Amino acid sequence: MLVGAVGLAALSPLRALSAAGAATHPIYQTGRHDAGTPNSDFVTRSHGHITSYGDSAITYSAPPSTLKALGYALYLENCATCHGTQANGVPVPGTPGAYPNLVGLGPATIDFWIESGRMPSADPRSVQAPRRPPRLTHHQALAIAAWINSLDPSYPYIPTVHLRGGNVATGMALFALNCAACHTIEGDGDALARSTFAPSLRNIPATQVAEAIRTGPGNMPRFTGNLSDYQVRDIVKFVTTEIQHPRNPGGFGLGGLGPVGEGFVALLLGVAFLALIAFWVGERQ
Amino acid sequence: MSGAVTTPRSRRQARGRYGRVSQVVTEIDERLGVARGGRTFLDKIFPDHWSFMLGEIVLYSFVVLLVTGVFLSLYYVPSSTVVTYHGSYLPLDGMPMSQAYASTVNLSFAVRAGLLMRQMHHWAADIFIGSMVVHMARVFFTGAFRKPRELNWTIGVTLLTLAIVNGFLGYSLPDDLVSGTGIRIAYSILLSIPVIGTYLAFWIFGGNFPGTVILERFFILHVLIVPLVMLGLVGAHLALLVRQKHTQFPGEGRREDNVVGSPMFPVFMAKTTGFLLIVTGVIALLGGFAQINPIWQFGPYEASRISYAVQPDWYMAFLDGALRIFPSWSFHSFGHTIPLEVTIPAVVLPGLLFGLAYAWPALERRVTKDDAIHHLLDRPSDRPRRTAAGAAVLALLAMLFVASSTDVIANFFHVSLNTVLWAMRVLVLVSPFVAYPIAYRIAKEMHQLHGAGRRKTPNVVTRTDEGEYRAEPAPAFGDDAEEPLAPTPVPDFIEAEPPAPPSRGTRAVER
Repeated sequence: MLVGAVGLAALSPLRALSAAGAATHPIYQTGRHDAGTPNSDFVTRSHGHITSYGDSAITYSAPPSTLKALGYALYLENCATCHGTQANGVPVPGTPGAYPNLVGLGPATIDFWIESGRMPSADPRSVQAPRRPPRLTHHQALAIAAWINSLDPSYPYIPTVHLRGGNVATGMALFALNCAACHTIEGDGDALARSTFAPSLRNIPATQVAEAIRTGPGNMPRFTGNLSDYQVRDIVKFVTTEIQHPRNPGGFGLGGLGPVGEGFVALLLGVAFLALIAFWVGERQ
Repeated sequence: MSGAVTTPRSRRQARGRYGRVSQVVTEIDERLGVARGGRTFLDKIFPDHWSFMLGEIVLYSFVVLLVTGVFLSLYYVPSSTVVTYHGSYLPLDGMPMSQAYASTVNLSFAVRAGLLMRQMHHWAADIFIGSMVVHMARVFFTGAFRKPRELNWTIGVTLLTLAIVNGFLGYSLPDDLVSGTGIRIAYSILLSIPVIGTYLAFWIFGGNFPGTVILERFFILHVLIVPLVMLGLVGAHLALLVRQKHTQFPGEGRREDNVVGSPMFPVFMAKTTGFLLIVTGVIALLGGFAQINPIWQFGPYEASRISYAVQPDWYMAFLDGALRIFPSWSFHSFGHTIPLEVTIPAVVLPGLLFGLAYAWPALERRVTKDDAIHHLLDRPSDRPRRTAAGAAVLALLAMLFVASSTDVIANFFHVSLNTVLWAMRVLVLVSPFVAYPIAYRIAKEMHQLHGAGRRKTPNVVTRTDEGEYRAEPAPAFGDDAEEPLAPTPVPDFIEAEPPAPPSRGTRAVER
């Protein structure tokens, strides 16, 4: 991991600026900095800072730095109890549990956790934060992300997926290869070991799908080097079309439960119903 | 009829009551001599109890399977050759896939009524095996497998085994992501058989998994060899049924030496034809309105890909459940791995279960020392131990069935998958021992209960002159009265004629 960090420091312009940060935080998650980095077709700068980068598939943009002050206020209100006033994972004394350091996580991570309603958490001790209706608005999430990003600017920025050119067939193949092992090929998600679960993808906006792929929330692996922006776009397109709006040309979809649901229908609607007919036709003595 | 004048009426009268039909039948009879056998056949008596019609669901869904299967085989291409799909289903456009998968997608979307036929075939298979199990349970709990029908029970168990095997083969043919995983599991199960496993797996797959021939081999097994054997066994099953005549429940006028019921023609024929149409109709409705196995959502199989939450069809689920919950025991010795975690649940367990089913008639005869011929059925409560044993096995199978959806249960109820796994282990082990005494108790109580299974008789309360109240049960209704079931002599099946003295060389027999 450390070797990787040193190697990346040479490649990444922003890492060089904040190299000192790594020394102050021993649990600093350096590995995250190769995700969605501005090694891209176009990069926009403002006052020496990169504000957005990307290609024709995905544009990653930084949260507006003007929201920093609002973000700090919101952070103290909603997040500081557990993550600490400096977002370094040192909570208020007396708070049980261990909380992740947020410094250097990149705006996409912060945005994903807040906008999917997982943070602020209802039960900080639960094994896995479930998706809930978001408690902060999009604007407020951007503000918090802007403040945390100002502590130690890092990547990935918040993605905007340009779905128009996406290829669903490629997306399906990549989904089967990378995602179906946990989320199932129909995207319903399923239980994993010890109360953790892969959530359903049926109702997730394109931005959050891309953020999850690039940042790897919770147990999910982070997909960086092995998926290009174009491939991520194809996956997002497949998820937001075929998985979220499945075509069921064969009739009722039976909840997408697969052979479990089909078996119940076959036995209860098929066999039991026909047995009832037999009961009706035959003699009951 | 006078010779001079012919009118339409006189011509009708000349043809007799059945007109031209009678004439055609006569022509046939004069050549093939079918009248006597046909008369016997049309007069064959079928006892009318509704539970005897469960086997007909099996027969008629088998008919639907054959018809829809022939349709599907016209369009399915059994080939592992990789092609690039450019068909009418756009989300798969340009994807490399086996020809088998491509042809299944094509027959679903580009062939008129193709999807309906595919779904009917799949629903019919699920109903086929489901009604088979129900029919088997009926035969078991009523003791219809007893002497002289042990052979037909054996044929039935063989049919169930073949049906499950053929169901698995058919499920594998589309070569989609889910069924490919199933073939991989089957390959591992073959490998786990001690000593011969690796040879067997290589022999069946023609090499290592996935190989290039398995779909072709599965296809010919699924559409020709196994159905042919099944067809022959179904014929034998029905021929034995006709030969040995039907069983019947005890009741008024029903004895060991007679068969009480409706004749084949017209009553039974009308009922059974109606039932054929209803079974076909229900399957067609399911095929038209309920989506089953949407392979286009799964994508083609590739050995490097896998989906979570993959279950087999319901009739294989008990095996899947056993595999899921069995602890990971394996040992390595003499340079070999013995994977008990696969061998025991997937080879030994089904072997024991089906072995028990095959051996049951002999086992029961050994225990009860009952060597008599039985044409009258038991009510399940008449034989508490048999009923309890059947209930125990069904409870075990039901729990194994539930265990095949551990992940679905954990996800649905938001409990830990590990908790579900342990709960299922306990339930599977405990369920037979809970089901047995409960079923035994219920059967015993029902059997000893006054008037169980009969209409209730009122209690007549009278007050005597001394002021004492006395409750007396009224006499039973006429047709509910207990009829002493004295064992009656059973005639031989073959009306044996005195054997002709053997002669050498040319013999003469009656036509």
